[in-house]
Amino acid sequence: MHFLRLGIAGMRGEVGSGLTPLLAINYAAALGTWIDGGSVVVGTDTRNSSPMFYSAVVSALLGCGCQVYDAGICPAPLLHFLVPHLHADAGILIGAGHHPANWNALVALGGNGAYLNAIQVQELLDIYHSGEYRYCEGDRLGRVSPIPDTAADSYLDQLLAPIEVSSIVEAGYTVIADFCNGSGSIMAAKLASRLGLNLISLNDTLSGILPHDPEPRPRSSTQVQSIMAPLHAAIGFVFNSDMSRIAVVTDDGETLSEEYSFPLAAQHILSRLPSGQTVVTNPCSTRTLDDVAARYGAEVIKTKVGQAFIVDAMLENHAVLGGDGSGSVVMANGVGGYDSFLVMVLLLEAMAVHKTRVSELVAALPRYHLQKRKFTCPAANAYKLLRHLKTAFPDARITEEDGTRFDWRDGWVHLRCSATEPVIRMIVEWRTREEAEDRAMQVQGILERLVSA
Amino acid sequence: MISGRNSGDLKVSVSGVRGIVGRSLTPALAAGFTAAFGEFVGGGKVVVGRDTRRSGEMIEYAVVASLLAAGCQPVLAGIVPTPTLQILVGQQQANGGIMISASHNPMEWNALKFIGADGIFLNDVESGQLLDLYNQPERRYAEEADYRRVRTLEDPFAPHQEKIFRHVDVAAIRRCHFKVAADCCNGAAALYTRKFLTALGCEVLTINDQPDGIFRRNPEPTPANLTELSRVVRENGCAIGFAQDPDADRIGLVDNRGNPVSEQYALVMAADHILSDKPGRVVVNLQTTKAVEDVARSYGCETYYTKVGEINVTEKMLQCKAVIGGEGNSGGIIYPAVHPCRDSFTAMALLLEMLALSCDTVDNILASLPRYYSAGRKYACPANRARLLIRTLKQRYADRQPITADGIRINLERGWVLIRPSNTESVLRLIVEAASPTEAQQLLEEFDREINRQLTPTEKT
Repeated sequence: MHFLRLGIAGMRGEVGSGLTPLLAINYAAALGTWIDGGSVVVGTDTRNSSPMFYSAVVSALLGCGCQVYDAGICPAPLLHFLVPHLHADAGILIGAGHHPANWNALVALGGNGAYLNAIQVQELLDIYHSGEYRYCEGDRLGRVSPIPDTAADSYLDQLLAPIEVSSIVEAGYTVIADFCNGSGSIMAAKLASRLGLNLISLNDTLSGILPHDPEPRPRSSTQVQSIMAPLHAAIGFVFNSDMSRIAVVTDDGETLSEEYSFPLAAQHILSRLPSGQTVVTNPCSTRTLDDVAARYGAEVIKTKVGQAFIVDAMLENHAVLGGDGSGSVVMANGVGGYDSFLVMVLLLEAMAVHKTRVSELVAALPRYHLQKRKFTCPAANAYKLLRHLKTAFPDARITEEDGTRFDWRDGWVHLRCSATEPVIRMIVEWRTREEAEDRAMQVQGILERLVSA
Repeated sequence: MISGRNSGDLKVSVSGVRGIVGRSLTPALAAGFTAAFGEFVGGGKVVVGRDTRRSGEMIEYAVVASLLAAGCQPVLAGIVPTPTLQILVGQQQANGGIMISASHNPMEWNALKFIGADGIFLNDVESGQLLDLYNQPERRYAEEADYRRVRTLEDPFAPHQEKIFRHVDVAAIRRCHFKVAADCCNGAAALYTRKFLTALGCEVLTINDQPDGIFRRNPEPTPANLTELSRVVRENGCAIGFAQDPDADRIGLVDNRGNPVSEQYALVMAADHILSDKPGRVVVNLQTTKAVEDVARSYGCETYYTKVGEINVTEKMLQCKAVIGGEGNSGGIIYPAVHPCRDSFTAMALLLEMLALSCDTVDNILASLPRYYSAGRKYACPANRARLLIRTLKQRYADRQPITADGIRINLERGWVLIRPSNTESVLRLIVEAASPTEAQQLLEEFDREINRQLTPTEKT
């Protein structure tokens, strides 16, 4: 199978068959042209193919006369921070994040460190498709320089500035973190020493070899879960390989659905702010967030699915927080993209300040039951299927913000073609597990009948 | 900024993929050819080196990306002379090498030169196969699980120096404590020449020795470009002056009195030196001075002529087990005992050994060698008309048994004439050589008339 996706989430695909060095060169050359030969920070995760894409991207950027800052192996939030910190004009994040092995992605970041918004992406892709790049003659080529040694510390300074660090240090937590052999572990020791944590890191080699499904989900947390009790850990975290997604394991040894990472963070932030705040999420994230927002008098704005849309809507609406059900959170006064270190630090602060256990924080959340399923289906068929499906539930309220959402009084079903993979993703949420499972089975049955028809 | 794509200056040939950076030679082009080369060598190690040109780094990144994607292991030699890289391919047991250098071309040019597992450039047939792969509609890349990691070599020049030192009388050279001047042309040699000559016991004076790729003299090491080196040799009383080109495969000389020596004579001297001790076959290209053949004959040795182009000389040398050879017109000396490639370092060592063992000076040695003078001219001429012209000349001079391997070379009593179409431009070159400057000029005018006569009527029709 060949697979490549180019759009709002950058350039993503299967290594070799879809995403090739030549395409990476053209994507980076388009970016270098778009910023008219300015400066670009380039960082990678630990995947096997990332050094290849790094070389391809740097070649194109130098060719366009861009100054390149080599951030090396760099968690996504650190790169979101570095672009504005180094006054660069753009960034390129190379890494597969939650994608399976043999995938990779290149994501262009703007001067604010955030994903490009829809208009910026359109401009970039227009240049990309024109094939006319700003290639310079030999004496005007760019050069590569390293980032300052202090970069990681500067990031942590900003991250921890609004946090009551002393309370966390005082609590002296034992914390377990599974870095999925990704880029996150390069910050582990620094963060642990600043927060006085006894941090036990799992899968913290920079090998890029995936120890489990890279999406931080309950099924990927067995290693963390199994050592929570023996080590008397206060909290556990499961990260994806670029630190953009996080799932939480409680002191009881329960792995929360990644859907709860955002509501937990929101609960802590909103509880300390006056009412009237705005938070941004997408239409396929848990109702728990709506309930938490309602509790603290905050408004919820729902955008299309994708980090770019959420961050853009946050900026536009002066929202305090953004995030989605994949376990991702971004904060207005933090870096310009999803930051799992932020979630980690916020939850530790919530525990320390309220002198409470994470399981108690979780108990305060209204809980629903979520079913997430995906069906392999190329985009061409998927859109047709979704159109047919709309006639199947005449009693539901249908919204089509991004994909198709069916709302009933007690629950909802959301179906959408992935922007990053050839699959239809289904999310079903109901009060009880049985209802959620029944509904998921029902929709799956209808879809399968449509496919075979 | 360059708007629009001008690929008119791109040249894909046996000598590699060559173009002006940013115009025809882009990261995508370098990556495309490298990916084809990765497929051609079938994985394994590929040694990558470059000269000092500013664009070398950018092209190296593109090359590394494609080698990784093809499942090869890039072994980075960094800034090295071309012969050093050719030797490293064997030393590293690599499946191939890529040299990023436009050699003697001006600064704004760069090129990829492809080297096979044997450490010599791809020949016609292999280049054709590579081009075929490049032109396939789909490229085959490796699975991510099969990716290899990049390696960087610590001391890339060491194997080259060791190999040369095994084949020259280092002790004899060291005993002489020569005072030597070297012009590194701000190329790869700037990193190594001083150390190399110092290791041979020389007192070394270097010029253009900043390895920054800003060539402060015309990069061809021909007499016209060696004024500064001549001055240094003269003012400091050096025994010899060496001039290299940006990738240090070619050599030019200045004698002990500070006079630049014709680019042909480094090879004549080296041939005399090698054959005096170890007679054997000699291979040179068609544009090499007859002095080489005369020297070889004086030792009872045979000389073979090939088409212009290093790979053509190299292949013939390996085939007939020649002991020395090269390309006289470009100051290229090939001493296969070290490695069958043009190598300015081997040339420097051989010439110093010659001075040491003969206890003589460069000007005296040159005076004892047969002396020829050359002259040349070029004509705008499309390839098809050039072919026609060559065919006519071949018939007219049939009794002279002209050599038509590459254009036409006609040997006369007074000297020889070579008329050949350029590999890189739509021009025809006329080169003549004779025993005196006057005779060379006469020969030039004679064949100039001949060429004009042939070209003009065709133009009218």
